[in-house]
Amino acid sequence: MLAFKTTGYNGYSCKYSPFYDNKLAVATAANFGLVGNGRLYILSITDDGRIIQDNYFDTQDGLFDISWSELHENQVLTCSGDGSISLFDITLSNFPIKRFKEHQREVFSVYWNLVDKSIFCSSSWDSTVKVWSPIRDNSLITLSSNKDTTIKTDKNILDQPPLSTKPIIPNNNNDCVYQASFSPHDPSIIMSVNSASLCQIWDTRATNPLAMQFISHAGMEVLSCDFNKYRSSVIATASVDKSIKIWDLRMIPDLQHNFLAQKNRVGPSPINKLIGHDFAVRKVQWSPHASDTLMSASYDMTCKIWKDQTDEGARYMSNMKLRYGDSLINNFDMHKEFVLGCDWSLWGRGYVASTGWDEMLYVWKAI
Amino acid sequence: MQRLSQISNQLSPNGDANKSSSQNVQKLRTQNDNDVVIVAANRTALTKGFKGSFKDINSDEILYKLLVELFKNNKFDPSIIGDVAVGNVLNPGAGVNEHRAAVIAAGVPVTVPFIALNRQCSSGLMAINDIANKILTSQINCGLACGVESMSKNYGPKAIPKVSKSVLKASNDAKNCLLPMGNTSENVNSKFGLSRNEQDEFAVNSYNKAEKAVSSGLFKDEILPITVDIKAKGHDGEVSIKSKIVETDEGPRKGVTVESLSKLKPAFKKDGSSHAGNSSQISDGAAAVLLMTRELAKSLNLNILGKYIATTNVGVPPDIMGIGPAIAIPHLLEQCGVPIDDISVFEINEAFAGQALFSIKKNNIDLKKVNPRGGAIALGHPLGCTGARQLCTLLRELETGQLGVVSMCIGGGQGAASLFIKE
Repeated sequence: MLAFKTTGYNGYSCKYSPFYDNKLAVATAANFGLVGNGRLYILSITDDGRIIQDNYFDTQDGLFDISWSELHENQVLTCSGDGSISLFDITLSNFPIKRFKEHQREVFSVYWNLVDKSIFCSSSWDSTVKVWSPIRDNSLITLSSNKDTTIKTDKNILDQPPLSTKPIIPNNNNDCVYQASFSPHDPSIIMSVNSASLCQIWDTRATNPLAMQFISHAGMEVLSCDFNKYRSSVIATASVDKSIKIWDLRMIPDLQHNFLAQKNRVGPSPINKLIGHDFAVRKVQWSPHASDTLMSASYDMTCKIWKDQTDEGARYMSNMKLRYGDSLINNFDMHKEFVLGCDWSLWGRGYVASTGWDEMLYVWKAI
Repeated sequence: MQRLSQISNQLSPNGDANKSSSQNVQKLRTQNDNDVVIVAANRTALTKGFKGSFKDINSDEILYKLLVELFKNNKFDPSIIGDVAVGNVLNPGAGVNEHRAAVIAAGVPVTVPFIALNRQCSSGLMAINDIANKILTSQINCGLACGVESMSKNYGPKAIPKVSKSVLKASNDAKNCLLPMGNTSENVNSKFGLSRNEQDEFAVNSYNKAEKAVSSGLFKDEILPITVDIKAKGHDGEVSIKSKIVETDEGPRKGVTVESLSKLKPAFKKDGSSHAGNSSQISDGAAAVLLMTRELAKSLNLNILGKYIATTNVGVPPDIMGIGPAIAIPHLLEQCGVPIDDISVFEINEAFAGQALFSIKKNNIDLKKVNPRGGAIALGHPLGCTGARQLCTLLRELETGQLGVVSMCIGGGQGAASLFIKE
């Protein structure tokens, strides 16, 4: 296990470079990201097993997420609490080479398209997802997750009143979009998750880009999502309800089931549900090397590595053969505070990095 | 600090009780087309049993006359009613025949079905619950819920319950179902240490509030005057029949004080504390509530009085049935996610001062919020009518946007509570 202390700055996200096998970028924010500056760390892992700081960039507001450019080995993208997205060149110092400012509130995720490498997307607490090109100043598309999606979804379903006198209290938090990412299988598909418990699939080619949406965590906020790198229709979502759910998008039914009792209107069923975290799960990420392995980071100060037993090989197993409890294959508990970011190494099989509010970045062997 | 609250939300999604509950209340206040709303809630005056203005007529006539007035006041076609539920306790079969007849006589077409309901003192509220549930499940779009009782005509020896010996032998609680209500009241009083003095104070309070409400005309909006014939015996023994417009509650008395009540002897137990002055009165009366979906109310251009939210029923030991509201109210509020402080008015039926007082104290309810226009001790308790009568009063006590609860204890060991929002 290797460690690096981001003294004075609390970690929000960390990412391995897709070009260099030993480079890491860490997005951090002072004062737990609640108020104050941010700092982007560029780190290298040396051959003798140390983590050294190559470069750093200070920013006006806290940094919440990070994504390496897929086009240029020295460029990295960050998003910030002031609504801006910045592109840094790690060989320069002090300032970004480009800033993208359109979001009205905190930008909580950025994601570079792995297939069409000329675009990236961002998601914000202003309830929008935007698609950008690094060579343009303005966004290409804005995908708006309607402010009142819960009410809107309810309205469709509510044409018939519920079969229960128990009043339903839907999540009426504002719709913060916590994460948005491109599919690694299709350059025009974006998935986003928000505080209204919705998982939304967008197709940027369509005139009405919202291709699918469903309540994924029964009204609780959904904080993270990730496409499986091998199974193109499989995704994972992580929520405040402490669970990680794995979904097959082909098995999400059309939700116009008017006849369902309102209390049962909690959305479709996942193909798997991973329970083990003691607090909200902040980040979930599939392994780049195995179709059945995923990692999660949580407010319970741990990172966990899971094996999804509903993977291909297990599809025809009966429930009896699904060994409950065997899904959790590793638990990392070195962090002394909330763990907010984690990433798989593309190069060292089974290696991962994690960062959190304890100002620590750890690189460790997950499998 | 939006960021701080957003992130703390993720850590304890249900932790910040006040915040999430006030969100719940906000949510309950939102108006949707499929809400169950109350467009009319009216009642007759409550008259004294055996000697009041309704002493010579039966419950069906009271109901019939009330409904005629109700339809006169609310311009709509009675054929839109999808179902009629009438709560009643003392009539044989809960008045299923005579009240069906009364509803038809009042102008409801025969094609509209009818149900008679009896859950003792909550029957009026259960009629509302029944109709609201049917609207919620889309069985109907509009329904009429009523409660009616003529204790003058139907209260007496034949109202004493009969339970078979084998049933009584099988369980002590089953045996307790036979206890007269007064005895259950004394059980509550002694078990929970309610002094005669505090009960009398509560009763005096009820009388004073009711008297003030009557004299300042606060019940005018909810009471529909009806005309009835009253038999009177002259000095010569000759029976004459007089027609009279009944529009004022007969129960409230002027000048009731703790001293005046202290002279009354306990009614149910020698050393007891329940007596005629701090127990509910025997009365006659009827109340009717018209419920429908908001969509229908809007399309008919009808004035919306309030919104129905939910009802809860609970069971309690039969020998202390008076504690029903103490259990039902928190159960209801928890179910709805509403903190007790967000309720502006509680209409808790005063079957007996002791049990009402216990239910209030147990839940730390502010006395000022309870029965602001007096309760059954002063106004009277026509059994099957009471629940619907309480709603009529509640909707006039609340300001727009405020939440109110109707609750009562129920013979046989039960409690009921319903939540409404005034609009």
